Amino acid sequence: MSELLMVIIGGLASGAVYSLVAIGIVVIHKATKTVNFAHGGFVLLGAFAAYLVVVKLQWTYWAAYLIVPVLIGGLATGVELAILRPLRKADLFTVITATIFIGIGLSEIYRLSYNTEILAMPKPIAGAPFFFGDVILTRGQLWVAAGALTAGFVGLLVFSHATIGRSMRAMASNVRGATLCGYSVDRVYAIAWFVGGALAGLAGVFAGPSKGISPDLAVAMITAGFVAAVIGGFDSLRGALLGGLLLGLAETFAAAYVSSAMKSAISFLLLFVVLLWRPDGLFSEAKVRDV
Amino acid sequence: MKIFLPSLCILLLTLAGSALSTYWQYVFTISIGATIVGVALVMLVGYARCITIATGSMLAVGAYASALTVLKLGWSFPLALLTGLFFGAIAGYVLAVPAVRFRSHNLAMVTLVFQEVVIIFLREAKSLTGGAEGLNIPPPVFFGIVIKSDIGNLVMTGIAAAIVIFPLTVLLYGPFGKNLRALAANEIGARAFGISPRKYLIAAFVVSSAAIAFAGALSAPRFRIIDPDSYGVLTSIFTLAYPIIGGMNSIWGGLLGGGALRILPEVLRPLADYIELMFCVLVVLTVMYFPGGLVELVERMSARFRQGKTASSEAALDGAETRDAMVKAMPPAMPREDEVAGAAALRIEGMSKSYGALQAVKNVSIEVAVGRLHGLMGPNGAGKTTLFNMVTGFTQPGAGSVTSFGRSLSEVPVEERVGLGIARTFQHVAVFPSLSCFDNTLIGLGRNGVTASMRRSIASARAGVAAGEEREAVMAALDAVGLKPLALQPAGSLSLGNQRRLEIARAIVSRPRLILLDEPVSGVGADEAAQLRELLLAINRELGVTMFVIEHNIGFLLSLCDRLTVMSYGEIIAEGEPNEVVATQHVRSAYFGDKATA
Repeated sequence: MSELLMVIIGGLASGAVYSLVAIGIVVIHKATKTVNFAHGGFVLLGAFAAYLVVVKLQWTYWAAYLIVPVLIGGLATGVELAILRPLRKADLFTVITATIFIGIGLSEIYRLSYNTEILAMPKPIAGAPFFFGDVILTRGQLWVAAGALTAGFVGLLVFSHATIGRSMRAMASNVRGATLCGYSVDRVYAIAWFVGGALAGLAGVFAGPSKGISPDLAVAMITAGFVAAVIGGFDSLRGALLGGLLLGLAETFAAAYVSSAMKSAISFLLLFVVLLWRPDGLFSEAKVRDV
Repeated sequence: MKIFLPSLCILLLTLAGSALSTYWQYVFTISIGATIVGVALVMLVGYARCITIATGSMLAVGAYASALTVLKLGWSFPLALLTGLFFGAIAGYVLAVPAVRFRSHNLAMVTLVFQEVVIIFLREAKSLTGGAEGLNIPPPVFFGIVIKSDIGNLVMTGIAAAIVIFPLTVLLYGPFGKNLRALAANEIGARAFGISPRKYLIAAFVVSSAAIAFAGALSAPRFRIIDPDSYGVLTSIFTLAYPIIGGMNSIWGGLLGGGALRILPEVLRPLADYIELMFCVLVVLTVMYFPGGLVELVERMSARFRQGKTASSEAALDGAETRDAMVKAMPPAMPREDEVAGAAALRIEGMSKSYGALQAVKNVSIEVAVGRLHGLMGPNGAGKTTLFNMVTGFTQPGAGSVTSFGRSLSEVPVEERVGLGIARTFQHVAVFPSLSCFDNTLIGLGRNGVTASMRRSIASARAGVAAGEEREAVMAALDAVGLKPLALQPAGSLSLGNQRRLEIARAIVSRPRLILLDEPVSGVGADEAAQLRELLLAINRELGVTMFVIEHNIGFLLSLCDRLTVMSYGEIIAEGEPNEVVATQHVRSAYFGDKATA
């Protein structure tokens, strides 16, 4: 029983990070119709930037939580501006291949600038773990689960309530209509990429200490984020949030009760099952059908 | 001759390489090995437009399958190569069946799933695959000769590559490759002419995976040890760069991309660390500025070199007067065996369709007699397009049935209708822009099943061009619509009016008995509409083709049709002689409102 509880908290902690990644992917996809395969690269550079802030500059973690999202958000906006804006008229195929190679390119930039096997980061919160009877919960896990989830919720609220959120939703449902209503495509796209990139950067800050920093982090995060987004229906932020948590839980359960190989296979199994049986996701919002 | 060129180039490269030092022999060997992957990916990524991230796993399938047959079964290396090819084909099928239910990013993700699952399997099935440590591969033995030297490897790789690239060339140059490109360009248009997306994409996966696995089997002995890490996601992604940088629209793109990119890390040793980043930058620059890749770049430069040969793209077309004669030159449509004598060309009975609370089509019945030019008109939202889509099979009817010459069409898939002598055109022109007018029309002939198109690819490779009979039919159809002078122009370069003519050529080339026309003059000018009308009249008169036409343009319908049906709010409100129908009270009120008629 106590083991179960620890597995659940562990699952929620890694799942919350996946949620952040997935929400970023979905925000960008919803507002700009771009499936961003470069997202893993953003997460990796976010973790790396956090490492620079915390270890190299010896600043506090709070600085990383504030600076990194802005930095990676800015980077994402730059990528949109320099590469994807000229490709706006291109077909989906071209855009997807471009983002795949942008993502690999970002990982390569990290690898070239810091060529080590894996970078370790200090824990964001020191202190003894909590004991509840047999249950041991580390402060780090609790912090990541709570912090990432809160950030995810904030992202969700921004998209569904704030004014910038409305412009993105308008763009998502009808580009021409939104343009005619006075929303600028360029501006909305830039904002969406900034928000998506910021979420990816934040996910990097949360993921760095627990997973370590290496180019593998980029691949792991883009697959996890993508799977979570697909589970959530790819067009629903709430779905992405839940999908991330579900994936995190599934992974830790598989690792705890089956095998470590199953841990890496479970996300693909989930993706496969969802794509084939529920291509609209497990929690997708009611959709208006295209007539 | 063209068909042998790629393989011949490989052999020449082999010959050139064998004259060089052993280092260069090694470099040429890996370069030639990569050309196989490049060409295979041109088929899957370039022609079929499927983004695959499973190439690494396919190389692994070939390498492990061949290695295990040598190690465990003691088979000879040539047999092991074939085993690799065979397992690659099977793996391609297993991957394709779920993958081709999707397009773009979801398809890419399914290939990524396959990639990862294969690698996890190789790592975990230790007793079979040696797990993470991998397998030791003995040098290949070809008919008693142990191949250890660099030159031996080069010759073996060169010959094997030339052999396996040849059938790929045949498929890419022939109707199979053209149909794949048609499919990627316009799926609906392709389906209407018998190209089944599912079957074609599965075939593309199977063929290209088999070739990639063959390349994996061929290169495995050179590595001496194969392990799962050599075939990871990054391998898949960097091989994806081959066709993109080389050029996705031509076999030469695969040869050039694979051959040149694979050896960059060898040739640029001092910069080895930066190669991956360079790949990424090159790909991004290519998709941004040279979507056709290196091949297009070379073509553009050589075109600039031999100036003056600027084809007059849209030459003056023959006047409408000669149209009759040209249409007459085509053989008329013949009744097919399974037709019921005396049955209507098209009988729509009790068709209905609802979208939620909106009943788009309500219990519509129309009969189109043989030889008629039957028009269907109605204001926006009358349900014309929904009805048309149900008749053509693209929309599942809520209720009702369609028969043509006495045969029920309800159970006939869209892809098989062209074989029944029914062709159609599209409201939004659905020509295949990158293919020539000739090839567009050739697709209209039907016979586009996967195996049929593969057989035709072989036939046309033997004959050098499209088989004589097909060629004649295509040229006659192009001549009939006045596009013969533009036969070799890509369809995308034509004006809208000419693209509409091309659609008509594609519709009549199979000598159908019935053509369904969806707004044939939407978006074209008055002059061109008049010419199209003359053309349709001539086709109807000379070839005896029945036509069912949907159109907004009332004047056009009145001057074309001999019978007219009017729909409004999903129901038929009038039918009869065109001029009488438009004069009736409720047709006028449907179009102009009640006041106009007062």
